[in-house]
Parts: sequence; structure tokens; C-alpha cells
Amino acid sequence: MNLVSVLVLAGIIIAVFAFFYKLYEILWDAVKIPLKKPRMKLDLGRRIYILIRNVFLQGKLFKDPFAGIMHALMFWGFIVFGAYSIDFFYVTIFAHQLFSPGILSDIIFFTVNIFAGIVIADVIYAAVRRWGLKIKRYQGFNGFEAAFILVLIGLLMFTYLVMSVLDMQGLLGGYTFVVRSGAPHYLEPISYALTYVIPKAPSSYVYYIFWSAFWIHALDFMVFLIYIPRSKHLHLFAAPFNVLFSTGTQATPLPIDFEKETRFGATDIRDFTWKDYFDFYSCTECGRCTDNCPANMTGKTLSPRDIIWDIRETVMAQGKEYRKNRENPDEVFKTVIGDPILEKDLWSCTTCMACVEQCPVMIDHVPKIIDMRRSLVLNQGKAPKESLDLFRNIESYASPYAIDPSTRGDWAENLDVVDLSKNPDANYDVLYWVGCVASYDRRNQDIAKSVTKILKKAGVNFAILGSMEKCTGDPARRTGNEYLADMMIRQNVETFKEKKIHKVITACPHCFNSLKNEYKEYGVELEVYHHSEYINRLISDKKISVKALTSDSSEKYTYHDSCYLGRYNKIYDAPREIIGSFTENFQEMEKNKSKALCCGAGGGRLWMQETEGTMVSHKRIEMADKINASTVVTACPYCMTMLDDARKTTNREDKMNIQDLSEVIAKRLE
Amino acid sequence: MVDVIVLIKQMPDLEQVKIDSNTREPIVKNVPKTVEILSEHAVEEAVRLKEKYKGKVTAILLGNEQSSAIMKKAFAIGADEGIIIDGYEEHNPANTARVLASKIKEIKHDLVILGNQSADSITGLIPGMLSALLNEPLLGNAGKIEVTGTNVKVTRILEEDNIEIEVPMPSIVSISQEINEPRLPPVMQIMAAGRKPIKTEKIAPVISKGVTLVSNSAPRSERKKLVFEDMDKGIPEVVKVLKEGMK
Repeated sequence: MNLVSVLVLAGIIIAVFAFFYKLYEILWDAVKIPLKKPRMKLDLGRRIYILIRNVFLQGKLFKDPFAGIMHALMFWGFIVFGAYSIDFFYVTIFAHQLFSPGILSDIIFFTVNIFAGIVIADVIYAAVRRWGLKIKRYQGFNGFEAAFILVLIGLLMFTYLVMSVLDMQGLLGGYTFVVRSGAPHYLEPISYALTYVIPKAPSSYVYYIFWSAFWIHALDFMVFLIYIPRSKHLHLFAAPFNVLFSTGTQATPLPIDFEKETRFGATDIRDFTWKDYFDFYSCTECGRCTDNCPANMTGKTLSPRDIIWDIRETVMAQGKEYRKNRENPDEVFKTVIGDPILEKDLWSCTTCMACVEQCPVMIDHVPKIIDMRRSLVLNQGKAPKESLDLFRNIESYASPYAIDPSTRGDWAENLDVVDLSKNPDANYDVLYWVGCVASYDRRNQDIAKSVTKILKKAGVNFAILGSMEKCTGDPARRTGNEYLADMMIRQNVETFKEKKIHKVITACPHCFNSLKNEYKEYGVELEVYHHSEYINRLISDKKISVKALTSDSSEKYTYHDSCYLGRYNKIYDAPREIIGSFTENFQEMEKNKSKALCCGAGGGRLWMQETEGTMVSHKRIEMADKINASTVVTACPYCMTMLDDARKTTNREDKMNIQDLSEVIAKRLE
Repeated sequence: MVDVIVLIKQMPDLEQVKIDSNTREPIVKNVPKTVEILSEHAVEEAVRLKEKYKGKVTAILLGNEQSSAIMKKAFAIGADEGIIIDGYEEHNPANTARVLASKIKEIKHDLVILGNQSADSITGLIPGMLSALLNEPLLGNAGKIEVTGTNVKVTRILEEDNIEIEVPMPSIVSISQEINEPRLPPVMQIMAAGRKPIKTEKIAPVISKGVTLVSNSAPRSERKKLVFEDMDKGIPEVVKVLKEGMK
């Protein structure tokens, strides 16, 4: 071993130690600090699938194609350079190659050479995006860290190319420090091309050029290893695991056992799960979440990125302190609510899941926000004033409205609907779960009536629960009042069991999501259909026929995706197929399907005032107006309420209609 | 230190009271009982005073066994002790005040806090009657309560101005709704409230003197129930109907 080998070996040992020491620290934090356990199932098939799709193929990154391609190239380059770097240090230290020449080695060196060129171009592209085009979501966040990593990556590629070109020009005379010295030209096409551009250096300079390149290259790699886990670039290592560990049930808040637990929701960093810690470690401040947040878009200060990042910073700081002072956890761990996370930001969230949907590394922002709301409501009794009324009403009247619950089924008077609260022994095949909004709200009662008309026309034998139906608990759950939600869910589950109900249709995506995905944990398995799925099937099974829109009609339809139907339950096609069954006069709005903009009502916001910034619903209506839609079709009573209101308050009553899917079909029944 | 007695009234949930279409009498049978809204504000204020000045909050409620849910709500907000007086079912404010006063006399207190009137019967008589029976000054319609030494200072909310009055304790304070916003009790307190014992004291029915409930009925309203759906045609129609109605 010569001096160079010894120095490099020493350097790499220090770098690897520094790298793993930091990993050890953050893993220690993730194991020792959190008190809560995530929902974890083995679920191997799904995990392998998302790992391939979202890590190796960078699937979620392509939701933003320009950034996606940039990142994917960088990532793939990183993978191939990983293999190369191992060889580089091996050769340097042991003076012979790890991957002896052969097909594997050929593939590695060919791709490395290609990627060296691609990644350099990519680094420039990334720099242009951040500092040239000044893409909004990057601004103001750790610019130094971004610049530093680009310099490291760029230098690594550049110095590799320098050595490779020198070697190809035959100037090195067989230094062992160059991996695959004297490789065939076709294996290193970029370097080969560069030999035509770059003149041969005078031989007296070669020594200096080579050794500069060599040491920069080697040190760059070592700095990279030391620096990565200590910066936002920790995501390089945390994110693949975060994807692998994703629960797949993040839309359902964790259950609370009120008999046993004494700390509710998330107050300080102890109140998260180890999976949440991976979420924090995986964030690299890319800002896609905040960029797609309806609250942030309309001038509210809520930023899902900042929430994740602020907790991460807290974990890093308090974790360090806790490792030193393990005797007094209550002194070390201080609440994250109030400072750095503002209470009002927690209440601005519509739980629309746009942030979660967009996050390339599968961070779950929404459940954390709900958990912090829980902390406020359940531990301190703190909530916006309107929510207090909401809670009071749900508690007293089993609905968000202060209306006598015995009148819940009154909308169906004279419609000849079987009401199980009045007629408990009636025969029926399907339960139509009406939901509070369609039961009590005048405008939304038309949805209930339209659904009734369609089901009757199709000859479906259905019944409603009438006054026995109670709020599913969703508005309480999403506003953090799990105690109340729990109470409502238990009461409904009791009814389902007692009535032996199995098959349910509902026109409310919030009820749909609760009944379909969340009631399971309370021991009732239901077969639940949203009316969009059910009506679509009635049409395709020819149980109902729908009058086509005349070809000369000037009507133009568009569809507004409900978050709880779309992002929560991946139902995007059924509503569009229903509209397609009678007209082709259909155009998508900007932001649709998985990128759809919320109406502003989810997460209990339907019952709160929207005082900060502008109205989310107004922004949505403007998008509909931009494509000159004459009818905006909705599939959710919340969306109906918000958009119908926005249509009126923005003076668009004359040119635009808001109609539920059931209404457009009920009107066109033949 | 300030020991507070807070009086809680339970009443039928007015949202759920239906009117018998023949007799026009309210059907209160099977209607769930709820806490009268001002009573909730009163409990909140009592607990706030306790938190500020230390002391004890005792809640008194005229009810029965089913009233424990309402008492537990008061516990959850922060009341320390609860007494349900079971067996009084009259609509006679004078007797109500007598029953309450005899109980209050047994308990050491600095303040008695109650709502200035209740949403169901709206007599507003109880605070004044208690004042007479207990021989303690009454500060009515309070929007703010402060304790200074052995005195209580109250800001009374009047129509056009606010008046501050100070009297020595013990005294009676009736509150208005503006005084506070009742809290949402934390879950741990709700759970603890469920386990707290409630004192229930049976009393023999008091014989009513002087007051008889003659009738209790809702005025007949003759709604025509006309719906005008077409905006353009509707307005002249409405005008026509209104003109006819005036004749």
C-alpha cells in the first residue's frame, strides 16, 4: 500500500463512520422517542410495487414532469455512480478492480460515462430552475444546501470525466487510480467525444491536473457521505425506506383508546410514530405539498411543508438534547403547537390530501395535522368557535345542524320511501345512507330526492334509516374531536349490526369514506357504494336509460372532483362516465382528478368561517368559468354547498349551474 | 378564596319540542332534557372565578335521576361538587326559589351565580326572589365579575351603557350570555367527571300556593305555505297575496 491508498482508506473510514454515526443518532431518536405505534401490515406485494414504482421508477415525481425528469436522471445517475464509487475506492486502496472486466463491468462503466454527461447537464438545469427561472416553490428554503449539493454532484461528475479523458488521451500511463484504465472507447462514449473537443494537456501539467481531479473526486465523495445525513439531503437514504414503510391507511386517523390513553393526539415529538419520524427525515423541502395546498393557494399561511419541516427541526434539536438528558423528558420535549406551528394553520387544513397525493416520498401530512387538532380539542378543549357549535350539535342532534333529529327523514315524505325508523320490519336489498347535509339542507335535499328517483326507476329495493341515521362522525373526527366521533361511530355501528345491514349506497363522499374505510376498525364490514359508482353501473347494466343531450345544445359540462371520492378513494372515472353517457359537451377544468382543487369544505371547514385570504371555492368557480362551463357537476353535498354559494357570491348565477350527478341523471331519465 | 354556588336549570331541548296540532300544547314527553344555555355560561363563570381566586364550586340542579348527564357536564367544566334536588316538578317560581334558597342556606358560600332568565319559561324571577329569601344583594345581568377582597365587583350590561357595582359578599349574581364562552372540556376531565359522585337529595313535593298553570299553548299561525318558484312571476304574485292579506 502506498501513501495515497492509506490516506484514501483513512478518509473513507472516517467518512463512513461519520455517516453511520449520524444515521445511528436519528434512528435512535426514531426508536426511543415516539410513544405511538403506526398501523403496520406486512402487505408485501403492495410494498414491492410502490418501492419499484415510487423509488426506482420515480413514479410520483412525474406529477410535475419538468422537475420529475430532472430528479429521475439525478437519481438514476446516483445509483450507477454508487456502483462506480465502490469500485473507485476499491481500486485506489487495493490496486485492482472489484468488478473485473466483463459484461457487468461493461454495463456499469458505460452507464456511468453516459450519466456523467447527463448529470452535469442536469445539475445546470436544476440550478437554472432554482436561481434562473426562480420556480416559486423553491424560493426561500435552504438555498445554500441546494447549491452545495449541486456543486458536490457536479464536481464529482466533472472530476470523473477529467480523469477518464486524460486516461483516454493516453496521458496517464496506466495509473491504477483510474477505474478501468484503458477501457475500450465504445464503453466511454462521452469521454471519447470529449477527446475531440479538449486538446491534450501539456505533459508537465498532467500530473497536477490528474492529482487535483483525483483528490477533489475522492474528498468530494467523503464530504458527500458526511454531509448527506446532516442536511435535507438525508432524504437520499430516508425516502426509500419511507416509501417502503408507507402504511397505505394514512387517510384514516389512528384510533384512540379512551380507556387507556392519557395523552391524546400530537402535542410534542413524543406523540408521533417511528413512521412519522421517517416522514420527517424524508422531507427535502421540495414544496410540492405547499404548492398544491388549497389553503396556501388562497393566501392562508398554512404550509404543509413547513409543518413537516418544523417538526423535523424540532426532532433534530430535541432529539439531541434528549440523548444528553434522558432523566427529564418533560423538560426536553416541548409542545410544537403554537410555536413553531400556528394553531390557525392547523385549522386552515381542509384535509383534501393534495399534499399527501403530491409528495414524492410519501409523507403523510394530513394525519399529523389531525393529530395536532386532536391535541388541541381533546387535551385543552381548544377549537374555533364554530367547531364548538358543530360539536354541540352533533352531540345533541346527531348532525351538524341544530335540527330535531326526528325530522331527519322528512325530505322523503310523499316519496314512498321505506323508512326503517317507522317501518322496522320492511324488506329491502340496499340501504340508502342519506347523510346529514342531504337530509337537512334545503338545496341538498334535491340530491336525496334525485337519488330516490333514480333508484326507484331502476327498480332497486332500498330503504333509509330516517331518524335512526346519525352523523358518521366524520366532521368531528376531522376537526380533532375523536371522542365525539368515536361516540357517533359506535352508535351507528350498533344500528348496522342490529339491522343486519350489509349493502349501502350513499351520495356523500364523506359518509362513503367513513363507512367504507373507517367503520371496519369498529367491527362492521359493509359493502359501500358511492352513488356515482352505483348509478354508473345502473346505466351500463341498462337498468336506467338516460336521454342524450341534443347535439345543438350549447350546454357545457365540467366535473369537480370531491377529495374524499377522488384522492381518498380513487374514484375518478365513474362520475365522468356518467356524464359521458348523455353528452360529449364536456371539458376538464384546470386541476382535475388527483390534482383536483378542493372546494374548501372538508376537514370540518364547511362549518367554519373562511376569514384568512380568499375563498377556496371562489378559486374553483373561477376555474370552471375559465372554460365557460355552464354546468359544474359535483358528487358531494359539501362541494355542492360551497360551489353553489361561490356561484352566487361571485355573481355567476346567470351563466352557471351547480348540479349533483344524481340531479343531472334524474332529470334525463327516460 | 371565593366559594361559589352555581344554579343549573335543565329544560326540554326546545329544538325537539313539537306542538300538538289540535290542542296547540307543546309535547314535552320523551323530549330529551338539556342544560339551559345560560346555566352553562354560569358554570363556566363560576369555574373561571375558582381558577382565578381559588375556592370551591358547588352546582345545584333541580331534577331527577336522569339529570346526572347534565351534572356531569358541569363537573367536566370544573364544578367540584354537585347536588341534584330530586322531587320538585312545579311551574311556580316562588316555590322554586324557596327550594333553592333552603338548600343554599346550608352551604357556605360567597357568591351564588345563575342565569338571569331561562330560555323556556323566561320569568326572570328567580334571582330576585333568592335575593329576598337569602337576604343577600343581587347584581343582575352581569357581563363581568371580579372579586376584590371581601367584595364582588360586577359590570352590568344594560341597553346603552355598562354599570359597575361593588357590594360585599355573600351576594347573588345573575349573568347574561355575553359574560363568557363556555369551554369545550378536555377529554380527561369528561372522563373524570363520569366517575365523580353526585349527591342526590330527595324532597317531598311542595304544595303550590297562589299560582296555577291555566294553559300552555302555542299561538295558532295560519301559514298559507305558498311557494313561488319562478323569480320573475313570483314577485308580483307575492305583492298580490300581501295586498289581499292586508284587507
